[in-house]
Amino acid sequence: MALPDRIHIPFRVAVSMIWNYARVRIYEQIRSVAFIILYLVAFKIVVLNEPPTNALQVSAGIGMVVLGLAFFLEGLFLGLMPLGERVGLQLPQRCNIAVIMGFGLLLGVSATLAEPAIAALRLAGITVTPWETPLLYRLLEAETDKLVMSIGAGVGFAVAFGMVRFYWGVSIKPFIYFLVPVLLAMTAVFSRDENLCHILNLAWDTGGVTTGPVTVPLVLAMGIGVSRSAGKHEGTASGFGIVALASLFPVIGVLCMGAWLNSSTPRPVPAAEFFSAGNRVNAMKLVKNEKDLEAIAFQRGDEAARRSFYGHQLNYEAALRIVADNEKRSELLGALSLNDWLVRRASKNERAMVALEMSGRPAAQGVAALDSAEVMKNEAKLAFRAVVPLVMLLVFILVVVLRDKPRRTDEVLLGILFALAGMGILTSGIRLGLGPLGDQVGRPLPQVFRSETHEEGRIILEPFDLGSVLTSFSQSGAVSRFFYLQDRKGIPHPVPFDATRFDQKARRYEHIVERPPMFGPELTMIGIALVFVFAFGMGYGSTVAEPALSALGATVEDLTVGTVKKSGVIYTVSLGVGMGLVAGVARILYSIPVVWLLLPSYLIVMILTYFSEDDFAGIAWDSGGVTTGPITVPLVLAMGLGIGGELNVVDGFGIVAMASVFPILTMLIYGIIVQMRQRQLLQAQTEVNGDE
Amino acid sequence: MNDLTGISREVSRITLIAHQSLNGKIMEIFAGLGVRTLFAENSRCVRQKVNTSFLGIPGLGMEFSDVATEIFRVTVPVAVADAVLCRLIKELELQIPGRGAVFAQELTEITRMDASEISCEGVDDLRLLKDLSLITGIQSKSGSGANLFRVALKLGVGVPVVSIGIGTGIRDRLGLLRVTISPEKELVYLMVPSHDADGLQRLLIEEGHLDRPGGGFLYQTPIRAGIVDPLIRIGRQEHAASIEQIIAAIDDLKKGTAWRKRFFGMESNYDSSGQPVYTHREIGFLCHEGEGDAFVHAAMQAGAEGATIARLRAIRLAGDKKGHSVPCEYGILCVASPLEQQILAALSEVAARREDSEWVLQSQIACSVFAHKRN
Repeated sequence: MALPDRIHIPFRVAVSMIWNYARVRIYEQIRSVAFIILYLVAFKIVVLNEPPTNALQVSAGIGMVVLGLAFFLEGLFLGLMPLGERVGLQLPQRCNIAVIMGFGLLLGVSATLAEPAIAALRLAGITVTPWETPLLYRLLEAETDKLVMSIGAGVGFAVAFGMVRFYWGVSIKPFIYFLVPVLLAMTAVFSRDENLCHILNLAWDTGGVTTGPVTVPLVLAMGIGVSRSAGKHEGTASGFGIVALASLFPVIGVLCMGAWLNSSTPRPVPAAEFFSAGNRVNAMKLVKNEKDLEAIAFQRGDEAARRSFYGHQLNYEAALRIVADNEKRSELLGALSLNDWLVRRASKNERAMVALEMSGRPAAQGVAALDSAEVMKNEAKLAFRAVVPLVMLLVFILVVVLRDKPRRTDEVLLGILFALAGMGILTSGIRLGLGPLGDQVGRPLPQVFRSETHEEGRIILEPFDLGSVLTSFSQSGAVSRFFYLQDRKGIPHPVPFDATRFDQKARRYEHIVERPPMFGPELTMIGIALVFVFAFGMGYGSTVAEPALSALGATVEDLTVGTVKKSGVIYTVSLGVGMGLVAGVARILYSIPVVWLLLPSYLIVMILTYFSEDDFAGIAWDSGGVTTGPITVPLVLAMGLGIGGELNVVDGFGIVAMASVFPILTMLIYGIIVQMRQRQLLQAQTEVNGDE
Repeated sequence: MNDLTGISREVSRITLIAHQSLNGKIMEIFAGLGVRTLFAENSRCVRQKVNTSFLGIPGLGMEFSDVATEIFRVTVPVAVADAVLCRLIKELELQIPGRGAVFAQELTEITRMDASEISCEGVDDLRLLKDLSLITGIQSKSGSGANLFRVALKLGVGVPVVSIGIGTGIRDRLGLLRVTISPEKELVYLMVPSHDADGLQRLLIEEGHLDRPGGGFLYQTPIRAGIVDPLIRIGRQEHAASIEQIIAAIDDLKKGTAWRKRFFGMESNYDSSGQPVYTHREIGFLCHEGEGDAFVHAAMQAGAEGATIARLRAIRLAGDKKGHSVPCEYGILCVASPLEQQILAALSEVAARREDSEWVLQSQIACSVFAHKRN
């Protein structure tokens, strides 16, 4: 049956309609992103005392983030969520529970394969070494597919059990009461094994990382559909809880995989022993070939590791010559830049040797700027991978298996297109703008709590004239020599002259630029407090802008007819993430074992769950999983790596796990307050009457 | 009406608005009465809150307090309507301010579903107010005007009950450009004394700026009998009895709300004999989720402007699927009376094609329809 005539809209009216529509959405995203941007820039200028660099590219990137968020969210609401809900509504009517479970399993596995969350985990584990934490290295680098499989299976089971829950109208509570103690017990047991204790952080992080911005809204919408259609739940906001299970099951998956691989994994050994020729058999269990082992010695090891690998002094020196070679360097250093390697990995001797070797060659070119076109192409590919397979799966199920179609096909198609474009623009914008900005602040962050001077870089002065060196006398008459060096602004400062760094023949002087501690040698407490403040703001600000959370908030508001507001959900969860990051950073700073943080926080969360209503428990536990998305992960990782790298912590893991549990806590408290207020009214009136 | 499609009958529709935590009890009562299917819709009651915000925790420090409520709708034979109302008021203690409201409206129902066999006796007529009207306001959620419920609270009209619906109509005729217009609507229900209904409606329109494009849509339907929830304001009480309790007590004593009349000389919509002129019809249809569009399209073909579709659940209270619920859609159209028959015919035609699903068409008189017309 056709509709009455289509209304013809004149072009100018159409443009103004589209403009109004776009303006509202873009303005909304500007507001959600504003906090984190201003915060980062302010922190950079006020605390780190440097102006933001590369401003043009960063601003363009931030503009893309806003645009991408607006597109992506609109795509979710127009296309992906209606599609998911439609599938959810139809499934219980046409299929039996076994088919629904099978579909859930398939969806969970493909969601894990589609969303490149593993990349984020590997980035966090960039400093993981095969000798200190062999099992962790094996999961992350050597047998990544096994890790992905165990996570995928976890998410798959989570979605399948979630469907079962909705089908029979079971509360989320029994699942939580069973799963969390099991997980905590496993964690406690594993923390006693020298190998397994290192994968605990990774395992708990996977729970938060796996559920991405495409999976969460899809699964949420589908869950609500199934829950409505199955009709065995009396509450109002049923349909939540899959994301929560999808944060718990993968942890079990990874822990089990770790336990299984543990027996065939070598024990941790010192670096020198690991690289020695005698240990080569064991090392080959973790690394594919000698070439890779050699690269690892450079990228992750120290001087001892390298000497041990080459055994002979001549081989070792030959390798260092390769490092000095601009063209061949990447064979050994991989993506690591020479400067990073010199600062982070090389010993004093090696720096000197490489510097000597470099002297004869032309200076290395500046670090190549991020190629925007290349980044966008790459991100577009990833966006395609994240959106299209999942959507195709749902469309296939809807059209072929359920023999139905979306309510408004054209809207859904437009929505999918929006989501795809938005995802691509958003992630490119993050790579070009928000990520580098976060990096600019996150990496130098350890300066604020560092108490000793730190080498920042080297300047070669050539030709150096000894005549420019002056002499100064101390009060007691001791002689020291200095010369004047201009800073970037051209103001001369006296710097001490070190005769050992002067090369007589080449008339070269190597000056080491040192950065004094920001708050003096003793005042580190202020610095640590600043790091905590920074971590909190970073977590809060980036979570406010997170698209999956926005989708969750809108769904909650919709289902509760506005009794729980979207903004309330977003701010409460963001508050939780902020607190979680503070806990996570504290873990890294004070190297608190992860068990000591997880055990009490999950115990409190379980007690609060007991006192919450079923529906709100589901919402709260779901919000733990939605917090880690495309905006949070790069920013948080930059910070975690900055701090972790400074303190020589094995890995930057554990922050995400904390950022997942605290939002559950704050949401549960928020829910209990809302419930209390709602019941207050009723109870007050009942008491007057004196019955019930 | 065509017997092949369904039976047309005169019934009373009981609408019960109650706090969500009373759901279990309400279902027991209805099951006890012999009701087979109960339609439930999520909604919220908005009240003014007097005390200050709690530590400024986001989302809580608002001057309006929302309470999650449920709107239950069920149709019963006209003869037992008052008795059912009295039973509900008694068992749920609705006479206490803040617990909820219930009312009955008379309408024509066309359906294939069997009428519920309701057995209920004992009319306690004293409690029921007989001179009420229901103002239904449909407003875009992201619209330009002030929120209807805010205005209603500010004016002390009553406790607004808000539910959410999706607007269809002109939007669907725009092609893909329709995505630029949000379809989300808020349905605001207000129970007001019928003497003042027109005056209050006029105030709502003026104060809420509904007389602007996209402002909203308002109409009244008569209420046969009911009880209102007078608790407009919550918070600290500074007197022995709150003004709401006093109003409720006087309503009870006077058995009516006429004493509250505040607008005089505004009987423009009443005919010479003092009866309101019902120029319109509110047509509602209930169908399974996903089938609403077909009904709306048919109605639009027959001349309707558009419809608002709300989601609700049909809860089974008897039979083998007891306790289960089915997702349903409830579409509301407000049309001029002359169009009623042809739209009902078009809707029945759509319904007749749905062999295996349940559906209900309802029609009742409406008046004082207000909508902004773009000239």
